[in-house]
Amino acid sequence: MNVRPTFPAPAPPARALRQSMAWIHAWLGLLAGWILFAMFLTGTASYFRPEITQWMQPELRSASVPAEQAAQAAIAHMQATTPDDQQWFIYLPDDRTAVTRVFARAKPNPEKPPARRPELKLDPATGQSLEARDTRGGEHFYRFHFQLQIPHPWGRWLAGVCAMFMLAAIVSGVITHKRIFVDFFTLRWSKGQRSWLDAHNASAVLALPFHAMITYTGLITLVAMYMPWPVKANFDKPDAFTAAAYGAPAEAKATGTPAPLLPVGPMIEAAGRAWSGDAPRTVVIRNPGDAASTVTLLRATAGRLNARPDSITFSGATGKELSRSPSPGPAIATAGVMLGLHLGHFAGPALRWVYFFLGLTGAAMVGTGLVLWVVKRRKPNAAPFFGLKLVERLNIGAIACLPSGMAAYLLANRLIPADLPGRAELEVKAMFWTWFGLAVVSLLRPARRAWIETLGLATVAFAALPVVNALTTDRGLVASLRTGDWLFAGFDLAMLAIAALCGLAALKASAKPKPPKKAARATAPVKASPAPAPARENVDAL
Amino acid sequence: MNNDRSAKQAAVWPVVARMTARALTALFGGYAAAAALASLLARLLPIAPAEASAWGMILSFLVFAGLALWAFHERRLTIVAAAIWGSALIAGAAVVLMGARA
Repeated sequence: MNVRPTFPAPAPPARALRQSMAWIHAWLGLLAGWILFAMFLTGTASYFRPEITQWMQPELRSASVPAEQAAQAAIAHMQATTPDDQQWFIYLPDDRTAVTRVFARAKPNPEKPPARRPELKLDPATGQSLEARDTRGGEHFYRFHFQLQIPHPWGRWLAGVCAMFMLAAIVSGVITHKRIFVDFFTLRWSKGQRSWLDAHNASAVLALPFHAMITYTGLITLVAMYMPWPVKANFDKPDAFTAAAYGAPAEAKATGTPAPLLPVGPMIEAAGRAWSGDAPRTVVIRNPGDAASTVTLLRATAGRLNARPDSITFSGATGKELSRSPSPGPAIATAGVMLGLHLGHFAGPALRWVYFFLGLTGAAMVGTGLVLWVVKRRKPNAAPFFGLKLVERLNIGAIACLPSGMAAYLLANRLIPADLPGRAELEVKAMFWTWFGLAVVSLLRPARRAWIETLGLATVAFAALPVVNALTTDRGLVASLRTGDWLFAGFDLAMLAIAALCGLAALKASAKPKPPKKAARATAPVKASPAPAPARENVDAL
Repeated sequence: MNNDRSAKQAAVWPVVARMTARALTALFGGYAAAAALASLLARLLPIAPAEASAWGMILSFLVFAGLALWAFHERRLTIVAAAIWGSALIAGAAVVLMGARA
């Protein structure tokens, strides 16, 4: 992108541009870094949102059921329990979710606003209501990732500002780099500041296309909130834009004439013919039991890059197709694909793991950048100034304490009694009390000890998860390996791997710095460095 | 000594004020300019209005990032403020005067 000045600048432009970009890169990264680290880590976990939810409700076991059967079973349940509602929402299971979720919206009542009905979980095969421990599951990490547990709409705005800082930091970081190709292959361990810079460069440059993509597409996921003005420039009513872009929603009024709802099986078959065999993921039924009832099917987006689902609406009384979503134009399709790239629902298991590891490199990039900010400004023989101490403490709180908080959320799921009222909120509280509490307690320790001990605690917490899981459920690692329950086995093994990663970080933090090398570095560029002069300049540039 | 300190303070405060103005221009002015320019693009592109709006929304963040970074690159604050707030005002006024297409 062209950010060269359009006016003659006093200094030679190429040099000045790199300097100003290096300066702004450091400040953008510092100001947004702590929140961005948390957004990256929880967002990365969210690639396994349905799997985390399944792990957090071990009472439920997945069973593969055709969409027609699951939809019809759910409709039978709704007809038996809430036949007079205005709208039913049925979320069908797929190979990553074990249950059918249903949600009903009551008819608007002029006397009192309809109470928001709770979402129910149904057995996909029978439509029976399922009981499982109350939990927010993987949804919690997902929501925190862009709402930051701050009341609406401020959490989303703060996340948006941080994402914008990230985008500007990526652009300015790329401009700062003159040796971007060399940095692909450069990682010098145990060289103090040089190593932190290498680690920051390696994690940033290796996955640069991913970081740029995930940041930009992240902004696009909430673009209607962040940047509604181009819509307002063309449309007096935002609904008109929605209708033009995605098709008009079914909103026929009830006639008051009762008419039975036809079976949805033939409608799902008809939709499958239009969707090259794809099944619907969501069924929305409006005015059930009325002559004007409609059944809207939303196409499953797994396996499709565009995350905006196609939809077809049928008459519930006659079974005729009433409308379908228009095929999107290039811009709407681009936005849908950007959404899809961010969410990663299209990805199969292998690609999902790639997403997961690339997400971790994002967290590593932000984390190493924050550490580098401190390491670069620390003088060997001078007392650290207040800002330096503050940043270091915030780094410990944001980077080293969050993993323990996330582990505490999962541990709480197994340790809080399954039938305790309000347990879902307690799980969430466990995460934040652990995270922030640990950050406060770590203030009592010297910074270096605080890094080691908080990371060590995270190691213990993640390693404890498979143990606690085995003790509190009948789906421990041994049992799940024996029965071929790959979701549970994979989850436990992933927790052990994360524990190992935290342990490695704690070990690295406890390694004694090497004073002779440090002294050498303070006076002259490291001799072993392949290109001493530019390397030195590069350090100074940050 | 006293003179020296007050001279130092006199030199520091304008720098802080100018940096604050620059940062506010980059953050809020950059947003306003990006929103106005993206809206103008959406209003003027001779394609379906929904498509034009979507292109405007998709490109707006790139414009925002570019303007915000440039605000910290260009040394003369008056030029930064004039260009960013000026383009926000002019493009915004043009969009408002033209009115919605649909």
